[in-house]
Parts: sequence; structure tokens; C-alpha cells
Amino acid sequence: MNELIDYLVVSIVMISVGIYGIIVKRNAIRMIFSIEIIANAVNLTLIAFSRYLSDVQGQVFTLFAIAIAAAEIAVGLGIIIIAYRLYREIDVAEYRSLKG
Amino acid sequence: MLDWTSTPFIVIVVLGVVGLAIPVYDALRKERGEKKNKLYSIISVAALIVTIFIVIARVLSGDVIAGMDFSKDSITDDMFGSFFAIALLIVSIMVTASSWNYLRGITASASYYSLILLSTIGMVLIAYSTDFVTLFIAWELMSIPTYALAAYAKRDPISNEAALKYFMFGALSSSIIVLAIGLTYGLTGTTNIGESIKELSSLDSGQFPVLILTVALFVAGFGFKMGIVPFHMWLPDTYEGAPTTIGALLAAGTKKAGFAAAIRIIIIGMFALQLDWSIALSILAIITMTVGNLGAIMQKSVPRILAYSSIAQAGYILIGLAIAPYSDIGLSGSLFHIMNHAVMKSAAFIAVAGIAIALASYSLEKYRGLGRRMPFTAIALTISLLALAGVPPLNGFWSKLVIFESAIDSGTQVPWGSHLAIAGVLNSALSLAYYAWIIRKIYMEESEDMRPVKEPKAIKAVLAFTIIFIVGFGIWHAPIYDFAKSSVPLFIGKSDTSIVITPTTQENNDGKPSLGKISTDTTLHFQSTKTVLTTT
Repeated sequence: MNELIDYLVVSIVMISVGIYGIIVKRNAIRMIFSIEIIANAVNLTLIAFSRYLSDVQGQVFTLFAIAIAAAEIAVGLGIIIIAYRLYREIDVAEYRSLKG
Repeated sequence: MLDWTSTPFIVIVVLGVVGLAIPVYDALRKERGEKKNKLYSIISVAALIVTIFIVIARVLSGDVIAGMDFSKDSITDDMFGSFFAIALLIVSIMVTASSWNYLRGITASASYYSLILLSTIGMVLIAYSTDFVTLFIAWELMSIPTYALAAYAKRDPISNEAALKYFMFGALSSSIIVLAIGLTYGLTGTTNIGESIKELSSLDSGQFPVLILTVALFVAGFGFKMGIVPFHMWLPDTYEGAPTTIGALLAAGTKKAGFAAAIRIIIIGMFALQLDWSIALSILAIITMTVGNLGAIMQKSVPRILAYSSIAQAGYILIGLAIAPYSDIGLSGSLFHIMNHAVMKSAAFIAVAGIAIALASYSLEKYRGLGRRMPFTAIALTISLLALAGVPPLNGFWSKLVIFESAIDSGTQVPWGSHLAIAGVLNSALSLAYYAWIIRKIYMEESEDMRPVKEPKAIKAVLAFTIIFIVGFGIWHAPIYDFAKSSVPLFIGKSDTSIVITPTTQENNDGKPSLGKISTDTTLHFQSTKTVLTTT
């Protein structure tokens, strides 16, 4: 049980770091990093639970989640590359065509 | 294990093969331009129409499990899934058919149609999945193509910005969903939805805070896609900035898939756990409606008005979800409105896309005198806006009526039930302000240039279908409503007889009053509990 708590504490810290990053940072790449940190923290929770319950389902789920997160981030980086071509800038505060 | 003739497999095979074949074919062919776009549009629409006929044939054949089924497999073949499959396939057909005209000038049309088809598989599978792993994969299969589609107008900064916002919130929401799934898995030790609901109902009370956190995370994760208010910030920007046909796909398709996931997990979980989330969801519903409608009034751009109106509509659907434990028509009303809203909203977006092709503008000011410039599109837009407002002979009226009726019906159980109906009716009146404002611009005002404009043909065909759907099912609403009623779980939704699922192995020895039961070991059906009450 103690082990589980350790992993969960690390995971919660990582999630907090990620959320801080999304809220504070204005650089698109850094925001993607923050999202990745959250995703990995969540995966860590799943693996910790999986080990605690000695059940493989959680690890299988984690493998899927990692693969899918990779695909997701690839699409996101693609969008950021196009944004860079359009604005010559990856500061999201500079993107202000949509208002309301 | 499901056999190869079950509906989800057919959907995966038909749409997957066509969706993957289009880019391969495109890579092999050298020619460029308009011709290819039309060819791929025809192929995609044909594949989707074949799929929807198969789904309808499966429903009519009676092999599909009635209501909502929780099997031990990862996917099931039930009426709930079929209902969403039909609604979402209609949206996809409308989007692909109207892209025939909208996509002019964009060269890489193969991947566009391919991504729409793959995204459709994801949306449909969400409604069918009974395992968290399948659900999450289907969720991402739905989301990832739409990120790329939102950014599809590569040279357009607005489209790019819309996609970037959509991506950031979408990626965050999928992480939140994984966290919620992880916590559920940690509490129950299984990733099967039915099993885990069963396990959670025998949870000891010390773990309840974690359970409440889990449900909150699920609401947040799905709420991003559904457009519930604290999580709605990306929505107007994305619907406005994305190509308008993709706006239709997002507003009518991915949003409804979010509701499918929410009903499957949160609402059924609520029943099983007797967690009183109704008040929380009702408050969210009222805030969502009000913010959506107030936001829409100020806007100058028509896609933005439609985006805010789709936030408001999410609020109406949420009423049905919130009072589902107290009224037996709540969920069927929500499903009814989901189907109607899918058609109405995509009709409105596609009409706006048609107007944008002809006038190259989304501004409300340009809509002046449109009644004479583009008569058919103007009529279709007017009808869909009136249906969204809930004007009587149209289909939107009936589904709203069922939802408000269920809210009043729940007033006998919970004192705040009827307030929801009052809030809903007031909001409907408020929403008429901006819908009528658009209609006034179209018909009452005149612009300097009153020459008729050529209306795009494919969009006209799609809009003709929507007019038939909206008016036809407005006059004769029984088929969809009956279908919606047969798609929701069979339970009596009164609070005094609400369902507790007890594990079959240990019946009632934990001192908890058991009011429901599991019909078999392998599947978990929600049954009418009044009879069970007398036996326990």
C-alpha cells in the first residue's frame, strides 16, 4: 500500500506541474510538453494501480494510451509547424485572429 | 465474442476499408484537381449510405439487443449504439456530400474524406463500446482526425488557430479521461464498464471521495467535447475557425459522441451507485443553456452564433441526463433531442457553408436580402433555425417538449425538477431572439446588391434532405421517439425504486438494500425494478 501512495504522490505532482505549464506558458511547444507530462503522470497512475492489483489489464491500457498519445502529439506538432509558417512565431498570445 | 455480422464490425470494415483505400488510390493516380474531389466525395457518401442501410437493416431485423447492454466483451451490438450510429452516420453523410462543393480549390481532398470516414468509425464505436479500453481508443479515433480536419485550410490563419485551440483542449481532455479510467480501474480492478459499475456499487464508504472525484473527472473529460459550460472556451473559436463543413461535423458529430460516452458511463453509473449527481448536472445544464444563449446574442459572425447555440442545446440535452434518475422519459427525451439536434445543427452549418461559398463571408451583415439572392438556402437555414428554437410544427419542438415534460414529471420526486423546465422554456424564448434576428436579416432587410447568386448544387441537395427530415419528423415524430425509447435502458427511473446493482456472488449480505438485480452472469441489463422490489 505504501508503494502505491508513493507512485500516486509522484503522479499528482506531475499532473500539477503539467497544469501549471498549460496555464502559465504561452509557448505552444511548452504547452504540448505540459500536456505530455500530464499524460505520462496518468500513465504512471495506471501502471501503479496495475502493479498494486497484480493485474495486467492496466498495463495493456497504458500501452494503448502511450501509442495514442504519440499519435495525438504528432498531429499537434503538425498544427504548430503550420502555425509557425503562417506567423513566424510560436507564441500563442500572438495568435489573435479569433475574438469574441 | 461478437460475430462478424454484428453492426460495429460491419461499420469498422466498410468505413475502414474505404477510408484507407481512398488515400492509397490517390497516391497511385497522378491527376489533380476538381475531378478527384468529386470522385472521393461520391465514394465516401456511397460507403456511408451503405453503412447506414446496414445499421437500419440490423435494427429492423431484431437481432440487435434492445436497450443498453453491458457485455463482458469490449464491444456490444445494442439499440443504444445503433441509435447513435444512425444519428452520426446521417451527420457524416451530410458533411461529405456538402464537401463536394465546399472543398473547391483545396487539392489534397483524398485525406479529407479519409479522415472524415475514420473519425466516423470512432464516433460510432464510442456508442457501442462496453470496455474502457475500446471506449478510449474510439474516443481518440474520433478526436485525432478532427484536429487535422479543423486545420485543413492550411493557408488560413483562422483555421490554424481554431485547430490549435481545439487540439490543446482535446489533448488535455483525453488525459483527464485516462485519469478517470485509471482511478476507476484502481478502485475496481477491471476495465470493463459493466463489471466496474457492478464492483463500484459494493465499494466501502471510505473510498467514496475517490469515487466522486472519478465521476467529476469523467464529467470534465467528456464535457470538453460536449461543450458543457466550464469547459466550453475553445468551442466558439473552433467552430467558427474550422472549415464550416467540419464545424458541422464537430457540432453535430463529436458532440453527440461525447453524450454517448457520458450516458454510457456517468448516467448509468449514477443509477448504479445512487450518487446524487442530479443537482450538479442540473446546475451545469442551467448555466450551460444561459451562457450559450447570452453569448450568442452579442455575436456578429453566423458560425459563431451557431456555436454558442450548440452550447445552449447541450444544456437542453443535459436536462434529460440530469433528471434521468427521477423520470423515465428523461433519457429518451435526451436521445430524441440528440438525433434532432444532429440534423438541425448540421443543416444550419451546411447552409452557412453554402452561403460562404457564394458570398465569401460569414458576417451577419452580408445576410441581408439573402431571401431573394439565395432563396432555397435561405429557406433551409430559416427552417433549421426555427427548429433549433423549437417552433411547434418542426422536430426540435417535440424533443424539447419531451425533455421539459420529463423535467416537470420529475417535480413530483425532487422539488427543483420543475425549475429546470422553467429555465429551459425561458432559455428557448431567449434563444429565439438571435435566431429571429438572423431570419429578420435574411428576409426583412435589403442589401445594396440584390442580384441572385448561384446556389451550390450538392449543398442544395443536402438541404432538401434536411428540410424533409425536419418538417417530416416534426409532423410525424413517432418513429424517432419510439426508437429513442427502445434505445434507453429499461428501468423505472423513480428515486424510491432506483437501481442498485449487487454482485451476483454475494446477494444482500452486505446489509445494503438491494433494489435491482443482474439478469445474468455475463450481461448486465437494467430492468424494471418494481417487480424486483417485491421479491427482495
